Amino acid sequence: MNPVLHALRCVGSTSPARVAWFTGLSESDVESDLIDLAVAGLVSYERAFGAWSLTETGRARDAFDTSAELDASGTRPALAAAFEDFLVLNPELLDLCTAWQIRSDGTVNDHTDTAYDARVLALFADLHARAVEVIAALAAAAPRFARYSLRLTSSLRRAQAGELDRLADTMDSYHAIWAELHEDLLATRGITRWSG
Amino acid sequence: MVWLKHLSADLTDPPEVVGGKAHGLVLLHRLGLPVPAGFVVTTEACRAFLHDSLPDGFWSSLASAVDTLGAPLVSVRSGAAVSMPGMMDTILTVPPDAVPEAVRSVFASWHTPRARTYRTLHDIPHDLGTAVIVQRMVFGDRDEHSGSGVAFSRDPDTGARTPFGEVLFGHQGSAVVSGTSLTRPLSALAREPAVWQDLLAALDLLERHYRDACYVEFTYESGTLWLLQVRPGRFAGAAAVRLAVDLADEGVIGRDEALVRVSPEDLRHVRTPRLVAGAEVLGRGTGVCPGVAVGRVAVTADEAVRMAVGGPVVLVRPETSPDDIRGLAAATGVVTARGGPASHAAVVARSMGKPAVVGLAALEVGRESVVVGGRTVGVGEVVSLDGTSGAVVLGAAEVVAGGADGSVRRLLGWVDDVVGAASGDDADRLRAAQVELRRA
Repeated sequence: MNPVLHALRCVGSTSPARVAWFTGLSESDVESDLIDLAVAGLVSYERAFGAWSLTETGRARDAFDTSAELDASGTRPALAAAFEDFLVLNPELLDLCTAWQIRSDGTVNDHTDTAYDARVLALFADLHARAVEVIAALAAAAPRFARYSLRLTSSLRRAQAGELDRLADTMDSYHAIWAELHEDLLATRGITRWSG
Repeated sequence: MVWLKHLSADLTDPPEVVGGKAHGLVLLHRLGLPVPAGFVVTTEACRAFLHDSLPDGFWSSLASAVDTLGAPLVSVRSGAAVSMPGMMDTILTVPPDAVPEAVRSVFASWHTPRARTYRTLHDIPHDLGTAVIVQRMVFGDRDEHSGSGVAFSRDPDTGARTPFGEVLFGHQGSAVVSGTSLTRPLSALAREPAVWQDLLAALDLLERHYRDACYVEFTYESGTLWLLQVRPGRFAGAAAVRLAVDLADEGVIGRDEALVRVSPEDLRHVRTPRLVAGAEVLGRGTGVCPGVAVGRVAVTADEAVRMAVGGPVVLVRPETSPDDIRGLAAATGVVTARGGPASHAAVVARSMGKPAVVGLAALEVGRESVVVGGRTVGVGEVVSLDGTSGAVVLGAAEVVAGGADGSVRRLLGWVDDVVGAASGDDADRLRAAQVELRRA
C-alpha cells in the first residue's frame, strides 16, 4: 500500500502539507511521491483548487492494496473487532464535540465558564484513554493506524494547554483527525458510505 | 411485585419511580386517550439489577406480567426520570419469552460509557437507573389504513396555532431513520378522517391539560389511533415568544406567567434570521447551526468549490466525509440526509458557523440532482435552508429577522408593565422582569 495514495483516500483532495502531516513523511518526499503517482495515473493535481486528488484508478488501486495487505497479514478479523469498538466510541466523541460547541440549554459555549470547559475536557481525556486502546488494537492489525494516536494526543494536549479550538473547530482538530480515522476504517473495511 | 406497575389511570408513582415516558402514558390514560396495554418496570428494579441484588422472583413476575398482556409481540423501551435521548436501548417486536433478555439489555444500557458521559455533561446523577416500559406492539405497517408519525399541537417553527408534524403511511415510526420511507406533512393524515379527528381532539385535550403546546408520537393500526409518547412542546426562540403571548391572549395563562415562560435566550434567538412561514417546504431535517442559507445546489465538494466562484452554493450530501470539509468551507450552507445534532456534519458546520440541516431522511442525492420528498431538484437550482427549524425550501425564500411579528413587541410591552419602560437589552430587561415577578 502506498501511504501517500491512501492519505488522499482518507483526507480527500488536499495539499502536500496535509498529506505530510497525515503520513508523517516529509513534504518533499510527499511531493516526489505525488508526481510519481500522477505519472502512473493514480492521482491528479487540480490547478483550480490547488489540491491533489485520487483518480478513479487511484481509488480502486488503494482499495485493492489495503485489502490485499489485510489478507497478507491475516488480520482482517482483528481489525473488524477493533472497528466495532471504534463504533462504540464514535457517538460519544461526537457528543463531546457538540458539548464543547453548544451547552445543554442550546446556547453557544463561549468558553467563559471555565468549570464547564474543564469538565468537558476531562471527559475528552477519559474518552481519549479508551480511544488509544482501540487504536492500539487497530495498529496491531494494520500498523499505520498507530499514527492516529500520536496526532489525536497532540491535539488534545494543545487543547489542554489552552488552544480551545483544537478539539472541534479547526481543520487539524481532534474531531477532524477522528473523522479521517473513521474514513480510513470505512475505506479499509471496504464499506461504502451510504449514498441516498 | 412492587417493581412492576400496570400502566393505568390509577398509577400514582412519580417520574422518579416510573420514568418520564411512563408518567406521560399514565397522563394519557387519565385523559381517556388510547394507549397500548402495558406495564412499567420501575427504576428501583433497575438499581437493584445494577447492584446485583434483583431477587430471583423478579423474573418470574416479569414473565407473568408479560402473559397478562396477551400480546404476540411487545415493545421494550427505556424511559428514565430525566430525558436522555438516544442514550439507552429500545427494542421492538420482542416475543414474550425474549422479554427478560430485552429488559436486561435496557437496564445495562444505563451504564454504557456514552450514557455516563452524557450524564456527567448534563448534571444527571449516575445512580438513578432507568425504568423500562413493556407494551403490546401496535403496527403502523399492518395495512393500508395504518401508519405512524409525530405531532405538535402548534407549529414549533413559528408558534402558530396549527397542528404540525409528519406522518408515514404504511410504515413503523422506526422506518423514518432508514431514509427509505417518505414522510408527509401531518395534514396529509386527513385522508384517514377518523384517525385525524381523534388526533386533533387528543392534541387539544393535552394542550388544555399542560396549559402549553404538546408533542406526541403516534401509530395508527387498521384505522385506530394509538399514542406512544407525550410531552410538553419545549419551543424555543421566536416560537416560544409567540406561544406564550398567544396562550395569554387565549386566557390559558396570565401575562405574568407568559413572561416567566419565555427565556432571555429565546428573546436573543428571535434575532436569528429564519424562513417565513408559507414557503414551499421540500423537507425537514434537524437544524443544527442557526441561520438561513440561500444558494445553488451542489452535490459534491468539487462542485461546491467550483460553483462558489459564481455565487452562493448549498452543499447537499448523503452525509459528510473528510473530503466534504472543503466543500462546506466554500458553501454558504449544508444539507445532509443522515446524522443528528451530534454528527460529523453538525460539528463541522458549527465550527465554520454555516447554517446546516442534517438528518433530512426524505433526501436522495444523485449525480446531477437531488430528490427531496419526491421532488427532483437539479444541480444549480436554488434552495434555501433554515438552520433553526430544519426546513429546506425550493427557491430563494423570504427571510425574517428580529421579532418582525407583533408577539415580541407585545411581550416587551408586558415587560414594561413590570419593570417600567426603559431602553436596554431586551433579554436583560426580561430577566429583570422575571426577578421582579418571582419576588412578588
